[in-house]
Amino acid sequence: MRVHVVEDDAGVSDSLALILRNIGHTVISYPDAESLFRAPLPQARDAVIVDLSLPGISGAHLVRWLLNLAAPPRVVVITGQSQGFIDHQLRGLVPTGLVRKPLDVDAITRVLPAEDAAGSPA
Amino acid sequence: MRDFAPSPDAPASPAPHPPTVSEARLLSVLDTAADGIIVIDEHARILIFNKACERMFGVPAAEVVGKNVKLVMPTEYAREHDAYVGSYIRTGVKKIIGIGREVQGRHADGTVFPLELSVGEAATPDGRQFIGILRDLRPRKESEQRLADLQGELVHLARVSAIDEMGAAIAHELNQPLTALMLYLQAIRRAHSRGVDIVTVVGDILDKAAGEAERAGHIIQRMRQFVEKRDPERHVRALDPLIDEAIDLTLLGQRHRIRIDRQQGENLPPVSVDPVQVQQIVVNLVRNAIEAASGVADPAIQIRTRADDGGVVLEVQDNGPGIAPEALPKLFEAFASSKRRGMGLGLAISRTIAQNHGGDLVVEPGGKGRGACFSLILPAAAAVPDEVG
Repeated sequence: MRVHVVEDDAGVSDSLALILRNIGHTVISYPDAESLFRAPLPQARDAVIVDLSLPGISGAHLVRWLLNLAAPPRVVVITGQSQGFIDHQLRGLVPTGLVRKPLDVDAITRVLPAEDAAGSPA
Repeated sequence: MRDFAPSPDAPASPAPHPPTVSEARLLSVLDTAADGIIVIDEHARILIFNKACERMFGVPAAEVVGKNVKLVMPTEYAREHDAYVGSYIRTGVKKIIGIGREVQGRHADGTVFPLELSVGEAATPDGRQFIGILRDLRPRKESEQRLADLQGELVHLARVSAIDEMGAAIAHELNQPLTALMLYLQAIRRAHSRGVDIVTVVGDILDKAAGEAERAGHIIQRMRQFVEKRDPERHVRALDPLIDEAIDLTLLGQRHRIRIDRQQGENLPPVSVDPVQVQQIVVNLVRNAIEAASGVADPAIQIRTRADDGGVVLEVQDNGPGIAPEALPKLFEAFASSKRRGMGLGLAISRTIAQNHGGDLVVEPGGKGRGACFSLILPAAAAVPDEVG
């Protein structure tokens, strides 16, 4: 699967790309929502991982925009914020998955199944 | 100059005749006085030692009258005292008479304690006499100390409260390196368990993982330095690096995206400060500014330093709505906050800290399209570096 990662934290973005490739996905990384808008539209068979706290256009805005596409991709929200903040940001939005940081590979494969030969993570 | 011989009618000695009305009145005044009163002659011999002195020094008057007043002084004062009296009698230069100062006394049990001493002088037919009035300073010192301790507790409490309010944001900030660290390690683990050749990349990934662990460590360290309880201290420091550290701490996991315009003044003199306490002020001002600006379309704050009139000024300016005139009179009062969160201690404590440093914290309230501007003013450190600790 092609996975778009929108995450401004360089360490999180880099390690997430590494593990996603490791489990068989193709990864395109963006530091903010604006750069994703400039790139070709994500396809319905793609997945987009969105960090809820983004600089500039907010993660919630991006999620709303993605879910309103004619052929929306799978949208997975990642965040290290409190439940209150998440509820407030995502009012009325239902993403494919929500994973709270700290992330690990099991939490990721639950929402985006591994596509490598080994299947499930070690 | 003649040697003083205790006169037969000295008040402290048994009088051979019944005291006159004025003598009786004097005795009564002496013994009723709450302050210690000692009268000595030109040779520093005690003539009068009232009841308050007996309590203060733990010796009865009968044992000290006629002896040198040195016996109620700690050794280092006692050594100099005769010379002081002699010098005054020779030169007439007043070092204590009519001035009063803080000295130390010695109780019979050896305890040395602070005293406020004022000295008067009387010319009598028996020669010059000196009258000392003494007040035990221990109760005042104790309450001063208690006040300082309480203030220290409060300053610390406000720091803990600030970190508490930032707790969720800091947890978020810690989550980032922990996430990266976990994913790096799991990537290696997976590749390893599947027999993939990772020799070429494993070093690089491990370095990145170590970098993330270090980043988490730095966050903890910065918080710990800030909240740990320590005695107040003074260091001669440049203000700008302290400010930058405090800004970093404030921006940890800051959810409001905000533009920060930082301008450093040139050739600023160093300041003599408690670094953590000054950072506490900066954290407070920057958090307030971010909150004030958060409602406007393009939130921005300016943080400037400049030299001013023998000191350094830090200005924190936001582009929020300014401070409402009705909020202004109580702005620096504790517990008067209009904010939903926190204890409303921030500005009160910040001003107290500034004033304890010989400086001040003032505000230009803005309004009518202008944001508020808080100025922290600190005096320049004395020219001679007095680095402590």
